[in-house]
Amino acid sequence: MPHIDNDIKLDFKDVLLRPKRSTLKSRSEVDLMRSFTFRNSKQTYTGIPIIAANMDTVGTFEMAKVLCKFSLFTAIHKHYSLEEWKKFAADNPDCLQNVAASSGTGSTDFELLEQILESVPQVRYICLDVANGYSEHFVQFLRDVRRRFPDHTIMAGNVVTGEMVEELVLSGADIIKVGIGPGSVCTTRKKTGVGYPQLSAVMECADAAHGLNGHIISDGGCSCPGDIAKAFGAGADFVMLGGMLAGHTESGGDLIEKGGKQYKLFYGMSSEVSMKKYAGGVAEYRASEGKVVEVPFKGDVEHTLRDVLGGIRSTCTYVGAAKLKELSRRTTFIRVTQQANPIFRD
Amino acid sequence: MPRVDADLKLDFKDVLLRPKRSSLKSRAEVDLMRTFTFRNSKQIYTGIPIIVANMDTVGTFEMARVMTKYAMFTTVHKHYSLEQWKLFASNHPECLEHVAVSSGSGMADFERLENIIEAIPLIKYICLDVANGYSEHFVEFVKAVHARFPKHTIMAGNVVTGEMVEELLLAGADIIKVGIGPGSVCTTRIKTGVGYPQLSAVIECADSAHGLNGHIISDGGCSCPGDVAKAFGAGADFVMLGGMFAGHDQCAGEIIEKNGKKMKLFYGMSSDTAMKKHLGGVAEYRASEGKTVEVPYRGDVENTIRDILGGLRSTCTYVGAAKLKELSRRTTFIRVTQQHSQVFS
Repeated sequence: MPHIDNDIKLDFKDVLLRPKRSTLKSRSEVDLMRSFTFRNSKQTYTGIPIIAANMDTVGTFEMAKVLCKFSLFTAIHKHYSLEEWKKFAADNPDCLQNVAASSGTGSTDFELLEQILESVPQVRYICLDVANGYSEHFVQFLRDVRRRFPDHTIMAGNVVTGEMVEELVLSGADIIKVGIGPGSVCTTRKKTGVGYPQLSAVMECADAAHGLNGHIISDGGCSCPGDIAKAFGAGADFVMLGGMLAGHTESGGDLIEKGGKQYKLFYGMSSEVSMKKYAGGVAEYRASEGKVVEVPFKGDVEHTLRDVLGGIRSTCTYVGAAKLKELSRRTTFIRVTQQANPIFRD
Repeated sequence: MPRVDADLKLDFKDVLLRPKRSSLKSRAEVDLMRTFTFRNSKQIYTGIPIIVANMDTVGTFEMARVMTKYAMFTTVHKHYSLEQWKLFASNHPECLEHVAVSSGSGMADFERLENIIEAIPLIKYICLDVANGYSEHFVEFVKAVHARFPKHTIMAGNVVTGEMVEELLLAGADIIKVGIGPGSVCTTRIKTGVGYPQLSAVIECADSAHGLNGHIISDGGCSCPGDVAKAFGAGADFVMLGGMFAGHDQCAGEIIEKNGKKMKLFYGMSSDTAMKKHLGGVAEYRASEGKTVEVPYRGDVENTIRDILGGLRSTCTYVGAAKLKELSRRTTFIRVTQQHSQVFS
């Protein structure tokens, strides 16, 4: 008989953070920088652990240039050529410590990855990203990549449960990407019925990863700065953003004019648009698992970054965390039925 | 691992009041006046304990003049000068027992507060308002203000949990402002993820305050007279309103004409609009935590006041409370999934 887990799993929208006593005088005192040493690569990281997602609309070189100024990280999407990578590396050597090169499990992907890492040795991070991190094939692929690049820090995913986090960490990954279906342009939950509420996934996966000195990325589901704060509060070491960084000058794609308003296209990496662009169409045996949306043009991403970082600093002062590192230790979530007052909806 | 409190916390929209048997014959019999003696100042208050928020759009002198007629209270916003205060005090001495002078925890604010209170000794209330009442710095500030003005009644906040209500009362505050993020133009919950559903916050904070003979204000989240009644029912001694008093003649700001409709601007005190107006802009290290909206112009606030007080009287008759004082004792909340019929909404 099918089994039902009876405790309710929670999303960001189901909770708020309880304020706690604080000795901080101002938001400006909060330190958002973190330092990690990774379990398998033994490399050290320092920065504000927010990552632009490896989507072709968001994980662009233009985005990386701005994010690295703020000590943020970019998982560069896998559709840049070796030549483009070489040019970026030559022009922006300072950004290379804050970017990852991405790859799926296909052999062409892997060959490109090898070439990039060989030609640009300052790139220290690899992002291995598949829709379903539960496959044995993916675990085997991860082991091969680890053997081939023993000193690179490997991000791998996506998964949503503790036992699979442990499996990937033990197979050579340093940072596990957590999230199945939470993203704003992801339709996996609709198309398959599979998924896991993101807040609970992060709490459970962080617990599993930290027990093995591994790290996790909360990937997807953040729609406002408060959600990012909740992801960190839940134990995420990194938070990855797609939709929140879409629609900016630095995002991929052209500006669209419609009714006097400006938009940019944003879509999931398994959407029809994306599959047509890179795979020549949606294969017979599969459904698209992503949407295509036009998001209002938001200008330079710098403004959004300040809003996000200002929000998280404010969260830290409310719960009495002088550093981002202390946020999850100071976190008590309360369950709620609504987030903000809906009277003046945007 | 971070902790999740298992029991669900509630907002006004999650409950309704259960009617109870009543011997009242008419709403007119209901007495909304309350009298309190404050814990630290030892002063006595009498009035209908509804307060206009200390926001620069609603907490105006013009509003205070009307509220005084109804024995209601106004926390006047902190952006009036000493000269403006003196003028108001000499023209409307009858208002002074129904207003508080507001201040943040900055030095400039405090000096202004001192000057006003020294110049106008008839003012008996001080409203100390910061976004985050949990900081040690604020607790020290409350202690200093209470030491400087031991006989003034101090309102202080905002907080949402019992232990911090107790701390502020013990530091010298008389009335604790309860509410983080519930307001209609507040975006703190969006920007920070921090907050507490208002009904649960009021129930828990009232319990803590009353145990120490302190009082609380439910500040924010009321969008209709029924919400005001629920806040009182939950144990609030006072209820503070911002958005419900916005858009009236007595509010600051010009009437805007848009497509033949009249509107007025309303905004949170940490919004871009407010920070630009009073601080010259949003500081580098912070995000704005408020929105700016245009609300329909609603004429004289007296109509709105009558609507609120009429609603509250009706609540009292439904639950059999002859006085507002009895409302919380007569309150049983039932959990609901919708407030009212959606057919014509």
